[in-house]
Amino acid sequence: MPAAVALVAAEAPPAAARPAPVDGIAIRDASKVFSVNREKFEALRAVDLTVKKGTLTALIGPSGCGKSTLLRMIAGLEQADTGTVEVDGLAPAVIRSSGRLGIAFQDPALLPWRSVTDNIALPLQVLGEPVKAAAGRIAHLIDLVGLKGFETAVPGQLSGGMRQRVSIARALVTEPMFLLLDEPFGALDQILRRSMNLELQRILAATGATTLLVTHGIDEAVFLADKVCVMQKGPGRITAEIAIDLPRPRAPELFTAPHFHQLSDVVAEALHGGH
Amino acid sequence: MSTVAVTPAANPVAEFASRHAGWLIGLGALALWELAGDYNLVAGGALPSPSEIIRQIWLDRQYLPRHIGATVWPALLGFLIGNTIAILAAITFVLWPPVERLTRGISITIFAIPAVALGPILVLTVDGIKPMVVLAAVSVYFPTMIAMLVGLKDIDPRPVDLIRAYGGTRRHILLHVRLRSSLPSLLAGLKVAAPAAVLGAILAEFGSGQRWGLGTYLLGSIGMGNPARIWEIGLIATAIASIGYVAFALIAGRATARTKQVTIASATPQDLAGTGGFTPINIAYAVGAAVVPFIAWWGIMKWLDLSPIIAKDPIGLWNYFFNARNSAVTQASLWDALLQSVPIALLGLAIGLAVAFGLAVLISTRPRIGNVFLPVALVTQTMPLVAWAPIIVLLFGRDLTTTLIIAASVTFFPALVTILQGLSLVPRSALDVLRTYGASGAQQMRMVSIPSSIPYVMAAARVAVPRALLGVMIAEWLATGMGLGNLLNRARGSLDYGMIWTVAFTSVAISILFYQLVTVVERAFLKKYRAGSA
Ligand SMILES: Nc1ncnc2c1ncn2[C@@H]1O[C@H](COP(=O)(O)OP(=O)(O)OP(=O)(O)O)[C@@H](O)[C@H]1O
Ligand SMILES: [Mg+2]
Repeated sequence: MPAAVALVAAEAPPAAARPAPVDGIAIRDASKVFSVNREKFEALRAVDLTVKKGTLTALIGPSGCGKSTLLRMIAGLEQADTGTVEVDGLAPAVIRSSGRLGIAFQDPALLPWRSVTDNIALPLQVLGEPVKAAAGRIAHLIDLVGLKGFETAVPGQLSGGMRQRVSIARALVTEPMFLLLDEPFGALDQILRRSMNLELQRILAATGATTLLVTHGIDEAVFLADKVCVMQKGPGRITAEIAIDLPRPRAPELFTAPHFHQLSDVVAEALHGGH
Repeated sequence: MSTVAVTPAANPVAEFASRHAGWLIGLGALALWELAGDYNLVAGGALPSPSEIIRQIWLDRQYLPRHIGATVWPALLGFLIGNTIAILAAITFVLWPPVERLTRGISITIFAIPAVALGPILVLTVDGIKPMVVLAAVSVYFPTMIAMLVGLKDIDPRPVDLIRAYGGTRRHILLHVRLRSSLPSLLAGLKVAAPAAVLGAILAEFGSGQRWGLGTYLLGSIGMGNPARIWEIGLIATAIASIGYVAFALIAGRATARTKQVTIASATPQDLAGTGGFTPINIAYAVGAAVVPFIAWWGIMKWLDLSPIIAKDPIGLWNYFFNARNSAVTQASLWDALLQSVPIALLGLAIGLAVAFGLAVLISTRPRIGNVFLPVALVTQTMPLVAWAPIIVLLFGRDLTTTLIIAASVTFFPALVTILQGLSLVPRSALDVLRTYGASGAQQMRMVSIPSSIPYVMAAARVAVPRALLGVMIAEWLATGMGLGNLLNRARGSLDYGMIWTVAFTSVAISILFYQLVTVVERAFLKKYRAGSA
C-alpha cells in the first residue's frame, strides 16, 4: 500500500564517522533516566533526531513516551544523561539567550496576574528587548490567534483554548528562528485547529523558522510536517521517521486528498502497529 | 438532576436577618455587654459597660492624644524599618540561599525573643524613643520576612521554565514571577505585623521611664482600680492596630481578587526547613548559623560600648551565671521560674493551636460561619496582647487560669489567620475537580485543603511557640507574680542587670528549642505528605 513513501527506520542512521555540526536542531544518542521515589525510570534511550534548517518535524507518540522531555532538552530545561543536543551547532544555553528560540509548552504557563498583552510580552522582557517597539507586532499576534478584544483580560477570565492561543502568540513574539511547540493546539476545537494549522504554515513559510511540533493529531502532523517522527515508550525512543513529500503551500483541500490519507495511514501504522 | 438557582424564600425578615447576621449578632452582643456592665454582672464589676468606657475616654480627652501619639510614632517608624529590612532580607535569601542558611540563627533569634524580655534590655542599652522603635522593628521583622520568603519560594514552576527557556536568569525569575506572586503572602504578613508593631512599642514603654505613651499610661493605671480606664486603653490600642490590619487586608483583597491561579501547579511546596542530612557542608552551615548570633551579640555590645555591668556580652553573661559569687542563687531561681512558666506555655500553645485549626476548618467549609466569625477574629487578631492582659486579669483573677487563657489566646489568633490563609490558597481547579465528583465538604477538606494547608499549620505552630511564652511572661509580670515574667520584673526593680540578661537569654533559648522541635515534626509531616501526593 505505501508505494510512494520513503520509510526510514530509525535504527539505520547515516553511517558517518563523526557528524559535523549541522544547521538546525540535532539530537544525537540522547538518553535520559528519571528517578521517581528512588526508582529509576528510563524516559529516553538513544534518541537521534534532526530537524533540518527551515523544515518542520512532527513528533508523535503515545502519552508518556518522552516527547515533552525531548523538547525540554532542546530548550535546555532538561539535561541529557548521555548524548548531545545542539541547535545550529550551539548548546541550548547559548541559543536560548540569543533570542532565536520560541517555545510553547503543553501547558500555557501564563502568569495569572498579567494581561494577555503583557503575557505575550514576557519573552521580550526576559531577552531585554524593547516592549514598546513591539506593540504593533503583539497586537497583530493577538489578532492572528483570534483574541482581539481580550487584550487586557487576565488568564482567569479566558477559556482553556484561549489561554493556549495566548501561549502560541507568546511563542511567536520574538520572531524565532527555532520554534518548539508542545501540543500547541491540544485544547482547540477541530475548526479552530484547522485554521491555526493554516496560520502556522503561513507564518513558517514567511519566517523560515525551524520547527519541532509535538502533536497527538496524525492529520495535523502530516499536514504540517516535512518529516514525522514516531515515538514509542518503554523506554522512549524514535521507531520510525516518515518523510512527507507533499508540495507546499498545502491547502485545506489536502485533508481530503488520497495521497494525504496514504501518508496518514503509514503514520498510523507506525504508531499503532509497529512495535 | 441539575438544580436551577433557587431564590430564597420570600420572607423579608428572614432574608434581612441572614444577610446581616454579622451586624445583628454584633449589635446584640453590644447590648448584652451594656446590660452586663451597667448591672455589674461580670466578675464583680470588672466589665465596665461600653457607655462607661466612652465616658472615660471623654474624661481623659486632654491627655489621650499625647499618649497615643507617643506610641504610634515609634510604632510606625519601627514598622517601616523592620519591614524594609525583612523584605530585603527575604529577597537576599532567595537570591543567595547560603546567606539564609548562615543567618538562620539570627532570624530565629529575632523571632524567638519575647518582646517583654527584650524591652528592659533595650531600655538599658539605648535611649529616647529608640527602645520602642527597635522593639517594634524586631516585632515585625520575622512575620514579614517569613511571609515574604514563603511567597517568594512557593511559586508556579511553569512560568519559571518559560523564562529559563528564553535564557532568563535568577534575576528575571525574581522580577517577573517571584516578586509578584509573593504579594498576597507579603500582605498577609504585613497584616499581622501591624498589630505586632503596636505591641512592641507598648511593651518597650514598660519601665522605660517615658512620660507619655499607652504603655506608660497602662502601667500607671493598673493599680488604680478603674476598670473603665484599662478597657479604654485596650480598646484604643486595638483600634490603632486594627487600622493597620484593615488597610493591608483591603489591599490584599484587591491584589488577589482577579489573579487566582487557574490551574494547579504540580510542584509540592518548598521545604522551608532546609535540606536535611548530616553531610559535612550541612553541619558546617548549622554550626555557622548557631555561632553567628553570638558573634552579632558580642559585636553589638562592643559597638555600643557600655559598662559591662549593664550590657553583658556572651562571656559576661556566662561569668554572671556560672562564676559569680551568687551564681548558685541565680541558677536556682531561674530553674524554679522555668518550671513554673514552660509547662503552662506549652499547654496554652496546644489549646490555642487546636482551637484555631478547628475553627479555620469550620470557617472554610461553612462560609456562613465565617461571615459571623471573621469580623470577630479580625478584631481579636489586632488586639495588642499587653493591653488586654490586664483586662483578662480583671475578668478571671490572678491565678493560673488567667495565664493559661492568655497563652492560649495569643497563639490562637495568629494561628487562625495563618491556617485560614493556607486554606484559602488552595487552587480553585483542584477543588473543582472534587466537586465535579460530588465530593462532600469533608472530603474536599481531607483530600485537598488539609494536605495543602499542612505547611501553613506548621508555620502557625512555629510562630506560636514564642508567642505562648511571651503571653505567659506578660501574665506573670502583670498579675500572677510567678515564673520568668516575675523574675524579670523583680530583676528590673532591683537593678539586677545580670538577671535581666539571664531571663532574656533563657527565654530565647527555650523558644528556639521548641522552634526546632516543631521543625522536626514539620519535616516528618512534609515527607509523608510528599510521598502521598506523588
Ligand atoms: N521531572 C520528571 N521527573 C520524573 N519523571 C519525569 C519527569 N518528567 C517526565 N517524567 C517521566 O518521563 C516520561 C515522559 O514524560 P513526557 O512528559 O516527556 O511525556 P510525553 O510524551 O510528553 O507525554 P504526553 O503526550 O502525555 O504529554 C513520563 O513517564 C514521565 O512520568
Ligand atoms: Mg507532553
